[in-house]
Order: sequence, then structure tokens, then C-alpha cells
Amino acid sequence: MRLDPFAVEVIRHGLSAAAEEMSLVMTRSARSPLLREAGDLSSAITDAKGGLVGQGRDIPVHLGAMAFTIPELLKVVPAAGLKDGDVLIYNLGALGGNHLNDVKVVRPVFVERDIVAFAVSLAHWPDVGGTWPGSYFAKAIDTFQEAMRIPPVLIADKDGVQTPILDFIKVNVRDAESCEGDLLAQIAATKTGEKRIVELCQQHGKDVFVATLARLHDLSESEMRAAIRELPDGTYEGEDHMDDGGPDGEPARIHVRITIAGDEATFDLSGSCDRVSNFCNTTPFIAKSAVAYAARIMSGRDMQQNAGALRPLTIITRPGSILEPGWTAAVAAGNHETSMRIVDAVFRAMQDTIPERLSAGGTTTAGVLSFAEPRQDGSWKMLYEVHGGGEGARHDRHGCPATRVHLTNTSNTPAEVIEANYNIRVEQQSIRRGSGGRGQFKGGDGIVRSYRILAPSMHLMTCIERMVVPPFGMQGGQAGEPCRVSLTRQGENVDIDGKSNLVLQADDLLTVESSGGGGFGLPSS
Amino acid sequence: MGTDIGGTFTDIIAIRRDTGQTRIAKVPSRPNAPVQAMLEAIEAVGLQKSDVDKFIHGTTRITNAIVEGRLPKVALIATAGFEDVLEIGRYRRRDLYRLDIPPKAPSLVPAELCFGLKERIDHQGRVIVSLDDAEIDRLLAWLAKTEARSVAIALLHAYANPIHEKMLAERLKEIVPYVSLSQEINPEAREYERTSSTCFNAAAMPIAVEYLSELEEKLPIGHGLQVFHSAGAMIPVSAVKRQPIVMAMSGPAAGVSASVGLARQLEQPRVLTFDMGGTTTDVCLIVDGQPEMTDGRMLGDRPLRQPMLAVHSIGAGGGSIVRNGPGGLTVGPESAGSEPGPACYGRGGRDATITDANALLGYLNPETRLGDRIGIDVGAAARAIEPIAKALNLSLTETALGIIRVANATMARALRRVTVECGIDGRDCTLLAFGGGGPMHAAGLAELYGIAKVVVPAASSAFSALGCLTADFSFLQQQTFRAALDDIDRSGIEARIGQLIAQACAPLLENGIPKNEIGIELVALMRYAAQNDAIPIPFALPIDVERLHHDFLAKHHDLFGYATRERCVIESVRVQARRPSSTAINRPGVPLANASIRSRICSFDDERDVETAIVDRASLAQAVTGPAIIEDAWSTVVVPPQWQASADTSGNLFLSKVRA
Repeated sequence: MRLDPFAVEVIRHGLSAAAEEMSLVMTRSARSPLLREAGDLSSAITDAKGGLVGQGRDIPVHLGAMAFTIPELLKVVPAAGLKDGDVLIYNLGALGGNHLNDVKVVRPVFVERDIVAFAVSLAHWPDVGGTWPGSYFAKAIDTFQEAMRIPPVLIADKDGVQTPILDFIKVNVRDAESCEGDLLAQIAATKTGEKRIVELCQQHGKDVFVATLARLHDLSESEMRAAIRELPDGTYEGEDHMDDGGPDGEPARIHVRITIAGDEATFDLSGSCDRVSNFCNTTPFIAKSAVAYAARIMSGRDMQQNAGALRPLTIITRPGSILEPGWTAAVAAGNHETSMRIVDAVFRAMQDTIPERLSAGGTTTAGVLSFAEPRQDGSWKMLYEVHGGGEGARHDRHGCPATRVHLTNTSNTPAEVIEANYNIRVEQQSIRRGSGGRGQFKGGDGIVRSYRILAPSMHLMTCIERMVVPPFGMQGGQAGEPCRVSLTRQGENVDIDGKSNLVLQADDLLTVESSGGGGFGLPSS
Repeated sequence: MGTDIGGTFTDIIAIRRDTGQTRIAKVPSRPNAPVQAMLEAIEAVGLQKSDVDKFIHGTTRITNAIVEGRLPKVALIATAGFEDVLEIGRYRRRDLYRLDIPPKAPSLVPAELCFGLKERIDHQGRVIVSLDDAEIDRLLAWLAKTEARSVAIALLHAYANPIHEKMLAERLKEIVPYVSLSQEINPEAREYERTSSTCFNAAAMPIAVEYLSELEEKLPIGHGLQVFHSAGAMIPVSAVKRQPIVMAMSGPAAGVSASVGLARQLEQPRVLTFDMGGTTTDVCLIVDGQPEMTDGRMLGDRPLRQPMLAVHSIGAGGGSIVRNGPGGLTVGPESAGSEPGPACYGRGGRDATITDANALLGYLNPETRLGDRIGIDVGAAARAIEPIAKALNLSLTETALGIIRVANATMARALRRVTVECGIDGRDCTLLAFGGGGPMHAAGLAELYGIAKVVVPAASSAFSALGCLTADFSFLQQQTFRAALDDIDRSGIEARIGQLIAQACAPLLENGIPKNEIGIELVALMRYAAQNDAIPIPFALPIDVERLHHDFLAKHHDLFGYATRERCVIESVRVQARRPSSTAINRPGVPLANASIRSRICSFDDERDVETAIVDRASLAQAVTGPAIIEDAWSTVVVPPQWQASADTSGNLFLSKVRA
């Protein structure tokens, strides 16, 4: 079909706008601070086969994984069985998933009795049941300990929400009321996406719409191929390490061998370590999501991030490794920790070839502290805190302090919001001066934030990497300061492990210091 | 006199009070001598200073100073431990996939000018650590060394209890000329947004006070000297000096205000304003004669939280540069500005702009000159568009039509943004198009978006200036309440609303407006207890709790498609005191500078190279069927094939699609 290039552009605008509008519905109407303050959610539009075509300005690791969410779903839930008005919910890792907290709500969009697209809303639920409030359990031996596993089920159909399924979910989570509000917001978001897609089809014609989605994939594919062709052919190796989880608790290796051949690139991650004994395992989808991000940065080009951009890339993971550990492995933290280490490894592999497109190591950890306070009725109030840190320096500028890098882009929760909603006082939130690595250009500084516990007791989970292995410097720049978590109790100060579950007492002071970014280039003297 | 000071041109409308006689002019803006430019504006309509008893203006002066980073030194006083609040911000980076640009804007106040004050108040307003004199002395010693003349004070939870901020203000008033308190500028929770807003005010204060004082001196007409504020009405210059940041959206607000007047006059229940200028396009939704309001916006990538008109601005206007990049064809935000301007202005611009596409399609009169400065060089437009046409393997005409469609798609996205946020289907709205480019793009945009009715107001090119004359006189106050609806202390809240009403009325009363002419509008900003964003629900005193609850559920359902029976909360209350405008405007005369040719060859989406009637707007008597171009000295209205236009006795044009 001959397509008017301007119609393609108009539809592309429409798809992005639809996904952005879905996210807006979520942040404006959701209940959990993690969604409404920190924005730990993403929205996407895919084509009828599940190829991502439109995304919001959300969280790159989600968006990357959502390229697989629908294709994997359709393998177990054939499209032929779906009806107009159906809405599915699921969180299984095997279905293009990442971790159980990220619950996907999916609506097929019908035009003239055919599915033309899917609207996908992904949101990080503050709790999905499981061993520990917040559903992160550092020492989990498998995913069954982590959280409730939801296979694809209909949460709504043309007659509205399926109350039995909603009830089933609500009795298995620790904050049923906010869970219901968040879930209704997700369903509403997919409805918004549907409305916009139907409008686009009405305006341009269904056939033009469908053909345009295919064209968008082709455009990004040719753009990515052109970018790879510009890179010198050859093999590039890079590695970085997780703080622990390797043999004897040693740092766990993440390794990549990149082969550039003509206009195709292979990212072989087989050299990464075996399945680890904590929650830092992850799924092959997350490995692919991380590579998709890194390849986009390597390309140095502005292109639409869609399934077409993935076509020239071959991404290999090894069964039994930390990146393909089997569908029952614990994966809560791998989503935002191990994924980041893949980006680090790719950057290190390419640092001598295209240093001007990259940056030195940044705060490649979500820096999660999750607080849970029991209510009198037995339900829990959850506070999921992420911490920004220093960005790595670049060839022409210093790293930025207190920000998020690469695969994440969630926000802090304001101290005034925390104090009004939880029995916590934020005593300090400062820039951690001098924590960025030295260099011709300095790494950005991390932050310090400290929490005074005012409740009789509070459950705490830490999920923070870069405490042992610091963010790397590039081209002679020095590493940034690693992260640190410490607890002051009755005048005594002790360091806390980055992967732990513990119970805090009244008057405890918990302080997190996030990592500084690596420097770029040799420091002068 | 109403004056709209834009980035390129200053528009003036003068109206004679007794006869209603109107004069209009357009002069170049003078960013470095704004007061001088205003005095020139008075001369441009053939008047003298002594003829003017009321001078109302909208200005982008404050906004531009902020966006361009030309701001005076500000010191920030924050609670100890939170002095880095601006540098930390909310962490989020601007662009997901670009490492070349810094992820965040640098802090508005550098670290060495931020002071951590030992004090602490909790979220319920209880003093946890009291502020003592020794600490204030330590602060004063530090402040003296900074030599800052403007100070922002933003202490934790000051919205719940301002006692410490007020103590400091008392001590500082003898020492520094400009002090901004977070409790006055933005008494709402979330420390970063409140601090940022307060620092914006502190930075704007020296600029605003200097500028406004000069204006008062040169044009000593007392309360007659007024300025537009972001919430879409006017306020005397004397009242704005303490809170100059209320002028942040002064420019676009004037256009919206004019639209509100016209929407009421024409009895249009839902209006979308479409103000397309040279570098930006502003859109806003007006429902039942009331413009939509919002709680804030980003300015120079930093948050400014203030109740203001919900104007959505996009960086695309007539001068926006068109690029054929790898991600597709894009329009803006890069702009050719006024220098060199679009290629067709013949002043050295080489990049293709939206205006060049309009010129190539024959929409612009080649003989028209704006203030004898600009001609239209269609050949130059063609040369600028040629490389894009070649890359796409299309003719020049097809490429220009395509550029217009992509530009309109960008605009449509802005229209969608302002309507969906209010749960309204934009297709039911009337599109009110003004500014230089609005009337040219209106029909195409309406077609793309599915809008049936378009209005191009009389004096469309100087419409914002007109807004200054017809605006209401109003002032607005907003305060955080956080009252749960199910156990509301009605009498307590009503008493506090009473105080807010008094505060909102004060500037009007001070300006001699009789109390019985002031109307009060109340809006409760409501949300579910666990939600973040509150949605506006109008109400009246005494409070009818059941009605409020019902209205909230209905609105939530409209906006998000669902509603539950969870607990809900009145987050804050907004009070607007308003004295409606009494200025009536007759049909403003818009002289046509050059006698224009009767027809040109133009191209449209449905027809190429078609002979198109050129109609003099001032003499338009009966309905015109497209294709046609309606023009006068400063405006060009495109009537595509299958559209028609007619005028009313006031000179407003109505465009609609002809039913086949």
C-alpha cells in the first residue's frame, strides 16, 4: 500500500499522544504514592501481533519489556478467542514479564470486528502479597515466595469489571483498597487508549492505520540498520559486576560480547554468571529490554522506539544463567538492578569505540527502600522509596547530581507527602557532595536522605546495588563513591546490607547515601 | 488602552470611553526598553499620555526573563537538611534516550546561596524545633555576605503553619528589599514545587518592581495602570509588586480573556482558543464562559505552582523550522524567530518554516507588508522547501501541503491535551482562532480534529490586546484544607473560606470597586483520600456536603471513566473575586493597507493550483464559499474548498464545512 508520508507522521503523533494520555489517566487517578508521586508505570500501544508502536514518556525498562508482553501473551491466549470489551490482567514472568509487582492490564482494540491494536497499561503495585510486605524478599529461594502469580485472566469484559477476579486479587494483597483504585485506573487507561486508536482508524481508514504501523516498524528498522552499519565491524567485550550473588557470595559477573557485522549486531550475554541465590535473577525479556536501550544509545540517533528497531539485533542469553534462570527463580530486583548492569557492560564494551555517545557509570540501581507499617485492621501501608544518584560524566560535560539514569526514570516522594501519610520523619535530603568520581569531567553527586521511624515498628526491605562495586569511570575518569545504607539505633551506627529484610523500631534513624557517577577523562593533576 | 506585548510585535487597541471609537496599531516590541515601547504604542494610535486614563497590558517580560535565564541573584532560606531541595528536585530526567543533554535544568539558586535554617514544623503545623534568635542572627550574618537583594523563604510544612516564615520576614524587612514567603506564594504541600515557585517569585521581584515602577512614573494614572495575571484577569500594578510571579502567564492570559468575552457574547458553551503566533501556539478550553484553570506548569523545565489558566503552549508557530529527520518530519520547537524569520521574509532565513509552506501554497499576499518591514518572497519559500521535497520525492506543493498537515497534527495534539484533561470531547467545541497564524490554519485543523465550527474574531491579529480592554477585574486565592468529606467541620471551614474571600476581595476594594459589584466564585479541589491530583468542583456557601460528594463522583467518572465509594477529601479551596467587565466594543476598524489583487493561485488538500478569490475582510458582506482567502492588513483567513465563511455585524467570521 502506498502511504502518504505525512499521514504516517500524523498517525505516529496520534499513537504517542494516546500512550501519553493513558499515563496521564494513571498518575492523576491512581492511589499509591509509588504510582502518583514516583510514576512507576508505563503505557504502550502495540499492533495486532503485539509489536510496540507507541509509548508514553515513562520507564525505559518497562517499555523495552512490553515489546514482548503481547507476543508472549498471544501464544497462550489466542487472539481469536478475544472479544471486544475484554480486558486481561497478568504478571507472570514467562509472558513477557519482568517481576511480579509489575502488573499488566491489556485491552485488545477492535475495529470492524478485527483486532487492530492492543492498549497496555503496566503499573508497579506496591504489594502483590507473598512473604514480605511489598513483595520483595531478598533471600527468596524462588518466585513463589515473592508474590502472588497472576496468569492471564479476564478482569473485565463488555459488561464491566469481573467482581470475582477482583475479589480474588484483593484478598491476596496487603492494601486492598488502594489496589482496587489503582487497578480501576489501569482499566480506565486502556479504555482511553482504545478510544484514541478507534478515532485514528476512523480518521485515516483502518487499512491505512494498519499499514502505517507496519511502516513505522520498517522506518525504525532501517534507521537502526544504518546506525549499526556506521559502527566498525568486529567483536567488543565488556563486563561489570553485581555486588554479590556469585560463587561464595562474590560479585556476580554480567558479561556481553557484541559482534557488529554489516547492518546487524549480536549481543551474546552467555558469559554472565549462573542463576544467583537472591532476587537479582531476571528474565530474558529484561535482558532484551536492556540491550534495546543500550543499542538505541549506541546508534546515536533519534528514532521511534518500536519493535522494528529490534529486528537487526540478536540477543542471546544462556539457560541457567542469571539472565535466563527458569520461570520459578526469584526476580524482583533483577528488573531494575541486573538490567542496569547489562547497560553498564555494553557501555564498557563500546567505550573505546564511541565514547562520545556514552557516559561513565551512573547510579545504575533503583536504590529501593521499602517501608511497611501495619494498620490496626491487619492491612499494611506501603512506602516504596527510590533514590536517584549521580549521573556519569560525558566527554563534554560533568554528570548531573541527583537524577535517574538509563532504564529507570521514577521520582522521589516529597518529604511533606511522606510525613503526612506515614509515621516517618525525613530528617535530611541533601546532595552528597564530593561523591562523584574525579576526571576531566566529574561524575554527578549522589544524595543523602534519612528517615526517622516514628511508629512502634516498621518492616524495611533494602534493594540497593552499587554498594560494593562502584560506578565505573570512563577514559581515565575515576569511579564514583558507592552507595551506603546505615542504621542509627540508640546512638549506635551499623551498616545495612543492600539486599535485606528487617524490622525497624521506633526512633531508629535510617540513612541512605546514593552513589556518585563515574568521571570521564583523566583528572588534571 | 489595551496592549499585548509579544516577542515580536506589540499590539495596541485604544477605545474612546464616550463614543466607543476604536483605534488599532502594531509596533515592534522592544525587549530592552519595554516602557519606552509602551509610550511609543500610545503615539502609534495617535494619542498622548494625557489622553489615557486606563492602560491595561499583558506582558511576557517575566516569562521570558525566566526562560532565558536572565535573573537576578536570589538567596534561598530552607529548613536545615533541606537546603539542596532545588538541586535534588524530583530526580526525573527530561528525555529518556538522550545522553547529550543534561537530564535536569540547573538549580535556580546555586548551592552557595542556599541556607539551612535550624527549625522544624510538622505536617500538622506543630513546632518540633523552634526557631531561636541565635539562629536568626547566624542567618543574618550569612545573608550579609551573600549580598543578595532578593530572598526566598521556603520552610518545610510552612503551608500548615507559617509562624517561622513570618518571624523571618519581620526580621528581614529592614535588611533586604525583596522577600518572598512560600506561605504567601504557594501555601501547598510538596517542598520542591513550593520552593521552586517561591524562588521564581523572588527572582521576578527585582525585575518586576523596577519595570512596574518605571511605568508608574512615566504613566502616572494610579489604579488605571493595570496588568494581566496568569488566572486571566487584570490587577492594578501596585498590587502585583509583592507577587509578580502571578504575571508568569500574563501574555497568553489576555488572549484567553478576550475569548471568554466573545464566547459569552456569542453564547458558545464550549470554546477552544487557538492562538498561533510566530514561535508558540497557545490553546485553552472555555466551558460555559469560564476558562479552565490549572495548579501550575513547568517554566524553563522547573515547576511553577500557582492557580492559573490551563493554557497549553507548544513550541510551534509560523516561524517554526521544519526538519525531515530520521524520526520523521518534525515541526519546531526550533524557530527562525523574528530574525532572520521565515525564508519568505527575505531576510536571510534559509530553513523551511510553516510560514514558508503557507506562502508557497499562495495563502499569503505577496504585497502585504507588516509595518512596512516585511514582504513575502514566494521564491525564497520554494528554495527553502526544495531539499525536503527532494528527500521525500514529492513536488513542492505536495510537500508544503504535507508540512501544513504535520503542523496541524502537532496543534491537534495540544487541543487534545487541554480537552482530555477536562474530560471533554474537543469535537463538540467551537474553535476560536486568532494570532497571526490561527486564522490561516483553523479550517485545516478543524477538519483534522473533527471540529465543525470555527470563529475568527474581529481584529483577530490584535485580539489579545482587545482582551485587555474587555477583561474582568479579579483576584484569586487558594489554600490547602485537606478536610475529609465524611467528618467535615462545616462551620470551621466556612469561617476559613470567609477569610479567603476577604483576602481575595481586598485588592478590588482597595481599587475603589464597590463591594456589591464583586462576585465570588468558589471551587473545591477534591480527590479520593489516597489520590494525588485534585479535581475542581464548583460549590456555593453554605456547603452542601451531599451535593459536593455527588458532583465529585460525577466529575471523576467523566474524567477517568470510573468512580468508587472511597473516602474523599477537599484538598484545597480556590476563591475568585470578580467584577465583570463593563467595556463594550464596537466593530473595530481594520484598514487594509494595500489594495489587493482579486485572485491568486492557491493549493489545498483537495484541490491543487486553483484560482482562489481574494476577499477584502473589511468589505465582506455575504457568505463566501471556498476556496477563498479573506485578508486585511494584518490577518489572513484561509477558507478551503468545501468550507464557507460569513461575517456578523461585529466583524467576527464564522467558518463551517459545506454539507455535501
